[in-house]
Amino acid sequence: MKRNLITLVISAVLVVIFALLLFVFQVRQSEVAVVTTFGKPVATYTNAGAYFKLPWPVQKVYKFDQRVQNFEDKFSENYTADSVTLLSSVYIGWKISDGRRFLLTIRNGSIADAQLKLEGMLRSAKNAVIGKHQLADFVNSDAQQLKFEAIEKEIEQTVQDELSTNNIGVRVEFLGFKKIGLPDNVTQTVFDRMKSERQKFISQYDSEGNAEAQKIRSAAEREAAETLARADAQAQNIRAAGEAEAAKTFTVFQQNPELANFLLRIDALQKSFSQKSTVILDERMPPFDLFTQLPGATKQSGAANPAK
Amino acid sequence: MERNNQKNGLVNLTAAILVFIAAFAVTVFSNSAAGQAASVFLGIGVLVAFASWFQMRLEENERLEKLEVEDMARAKGESALFESKESELFAARRSREQFEKFFIPGFAVLLFLLEAGGAALLWRWIDRIPHAIAPDRAMSSLSLFAIFALILFVLGRFSVTIARLGDHRLLRPGSSFLLAGAYVCFLAALGIAGVKADFIHADVWAARIFCGLLGVMAVEILLTLLLEIYRPRVKGRVARPLYDSRVIGILAQPESLFTTAAQTLDYQFGFKVSETWFFQVLKQNLPLLLLAQFAVLVLSTSFVFVDPGEQAVLERFGRPLATLDSGAHLKLPWPLDKVYRYRTDQIQTFVVGYVPDAQSENANVILWSTAHAKEENFLVGNRAVTTVQGDAGTTLKAPPVSLITISIPVQFQITDVRAWAYQNTDPAGLLQNLATRAVVQFLAGQDLGDVLSHARLVAAQQLQSRIQAAADDRRLGVKILFVGLQDIHPPVSVAADYERVVGAEQQMIAKTNNAVADAIRTNTLSGALAFSATNIAEAFRIQRQTAAAARVALFTNQIPAFEAAPSVYQSRMRIAAIVEATKNSRKYILLTTNTQDVIWLNLEDTIASQMLNATVPSE
Repeated sequence: MKRNLITLVISAVLVVIFALLLFVFQVRQSEVAVVTTFGKPVATYTNAGAYFKLPWPVQKVYKFDQRVQNFEDKFSENYTADSVTLLSSVYIGWKISDGRRFLLTIRNGSIADAQLKLEGMLRSAKNAVIGKHQLADFVNSDAQQLKFEAIEKEIEQTVQDELSTNNIGVRVEFLGFKKIGLPDNVTQTVFDRMKSERQKFISQYDSEGNAEAQKIRSAAEREAAETLARADAQAQNIRAAGEAEAAKTFTVFQQNPELANFLLRIDALQKSFSQKSTVILDERMPPFDLFTQLPGATKQSGAANPAK
Repeated sequence: MERNNQKNGLVNLTAAILVFIAAFAVTVFSNSAAGQAASVFLGIGVLVAFASWFQMRLEENERLEKLEVEDMARAKGESALFESKESELFAARRSREQFEKFFIPGFAVLLFLLEAGGAALLWRWIDRIPHAIAPDRAMSSLSLFAIFALILFVLGRFSVTIARLGDHRLLRPGSSFLLAGAYVCFLAALGIAGVKADFIHADVWAARIFCGLLGVMAVEILLTLLLEIYRPRVKGRVARPLYDSRVIGILAQPESLFTTAAQTLDYQFGFKVSETWFFQVLKQNLPLLLLAQFAVLVLSTSFVFVDPGEQAVLERFGRPLATLDSGAHLKLPWPLDKVYRYRTDQIQTFVVGYVPDAQSENANVILWSTAHAKEENFLVGNRAVTTVQGDAGTTLKAPPVSLITISIPVQFQITDVRAWAYQNTDPAGLLQNLATRAVVQFLAGQDLGDVLSHARLVAAQQLQSRIQAAADDRRLGVKILFVGLQDIHPPVSVAADYERVVGAEQQMIAKTNNAVADAIRTNTLSGALAFSATNIAEAFRIQRQTAAAARVALFTNQIPAFEAAPSVYQSRMRIAAIVEATKNSRKYILLTTNTQDVIWLNLEDTIASQMLNATVPSE
């Protein structure tokens, strides 16, 4: 009896679980559910909760995530209005706006399939919109000239129009540029130009350095010459002043001009002899005349021949 | 009876071989992953069926040999019999013993290698190879696998029943494999049916289950081999073949779970474990225990433990009911209530502009001219429009843009977990896109020179506010904590030229400094020369003035002396002057006899050289 009761309880629990699995399904806050009866969509549930359904194969539930889906397209090349090839990649946020249409138009309600379709539309829209704009609308050192957001809006609107026309139950929520760039060969030219700009600066700094150095040296030399010239002039003045002061004393010599001249000659005599001069003197010249007054001194024996 | 077993074994072997070949062919035909895995399983079954059949034959030969020897003993008498060597009399028994001693362990090792290797290789192979069952071949493949399942089930069930009723231990391994093979083929057929019903992964899931089964079998046979070493050998006790899988036995006959378990324990411990009270209680209350376990399992889903730094959203029937903070919480059991966890308090980080790699993260020096991560080039404005000479002399038009490399880490925190969870499928990816877009747009509106210099100071703040605004606009429920301009520099291939400019600028400064140094030297020297010249002049002036004053003073003092004795004074002065003036001179005094001054000069070569400098006195 006890075994039977246990068996009954287990069976009842299992039956309840299987019944719940077969007849009830949950829809999350983030989901939209479409119920089909023998393949025909009969109801759409967008509010979260538990709902009744008939078991498979009578009814089948398709659940889709109704949150914003986010994907980015390939980094692809487009031609701008001013004939520049621009690579760009955009991200797009989209969501399922009509679960029933989504199920009917997208195979198996596959998100991947929907994104493939969106990518095709996006690529076409991107080509059309980028071709209408110049590169300066995308990249401009003057931020006021940028048309970044306007271009994004144009692409978004084009995709949205396409979606509305096809009515696949999808709505674009937002779109933005993820990346913009240039093809490799153009990138190389940009690199070359950037290098040439740097080379320009190198030459400029080199020349400016040389020129500045030359200017500084010239100015210094000029200043030095000026200083020396001023100093020379000042020195001359000082000397002249000295001479003038000395000349003032000449009046004193006028008291006895004979003595003054005599002293001048004496002074000149002293200054006129250099260290290693040779002097030939007459014996009559004082004080050497003393030689002639020596007792027994003869002129012959006392004479000296300097050449011998 | 034994002969019938041998026939059954042969039938099992034949059926296993045929179904294996057919299943492999169908697998190739349908490209089914589950079929591949099932073929491996069936192939192992063929080996087991062959081994068991061969061992049956050996035992049958031994039995016949024994009868023959007994007949001979009765005919010739015991004495004659024991004269022969035992090895000559019981050759079949020795063959059987040799087979059990060497072949079976070796075969068990082979099975282990095949099962373990098969499981591992198949698992990896399933990941690599795209499996797409051709729609037009799915139905026929499904039907064929179902037929294989039916054939194997009928044969396997029959053999298993015979083996169990007759306790034919050697018939059991092959029979169990046949019956398990039937279920495997059935599951393979279900996998293909699943694919047909648009459950595209059903085939792969079935293949994964087979891989798991092979793995379990490998573990089992390894354990059996290890336990066989320590098993007590009871004399007269017949050993269970090592290749007889209990897992396959349970799979083939789930109802025999307890029987198998009991046999295993009895076999391993050498006494009747299955007759102990514990085992009996366990056997009688198994459903209740299972129910209790199920209840515990359900009950365990009623507790939620949210980790530190996390928040969880509690959903009841899919509706958000509450936000749970860190700690323990109660909820209704799964699937009524479900909990989704998010790292809210923890600061999360992503980077814009580069993909970090371990090597560059460990580098101690980061240079512009060396790529330190997988860097991306961003377009930035350039005021100058220039053309560049191409390689072949062609003029390439370079767009008025420049390229720049950046590294921007962005740190954020989830502030509204419900907004984070319910607005976007991939909020983290969206936030990264929004941040990247903000960076791209910011750089596109800047001049390269500005970005590298003063604009970078405000860039971080601008970017942070832009990213925050974009996140708020998309209702992401995050707070941007930090946007760091970790690195902004020209691309690697241009960076060296930028460094050379810095070098040139430094050289320019050096040249200027050298010139200034020269100027300072020149000016200082000239100042010194000027100072010197004026000082010399000043000294001259002073000397002149002083000398003049001294002369005047001397002269004034000499006048009285001169006036007192003019001739004496003059003579004294003259002689003193001559003495003083000529004290260092060589002197020649000429003594003459006439009154006329005649100077005779010998100008021959012998004249002393200094004579040439002789000064002729005026008087």
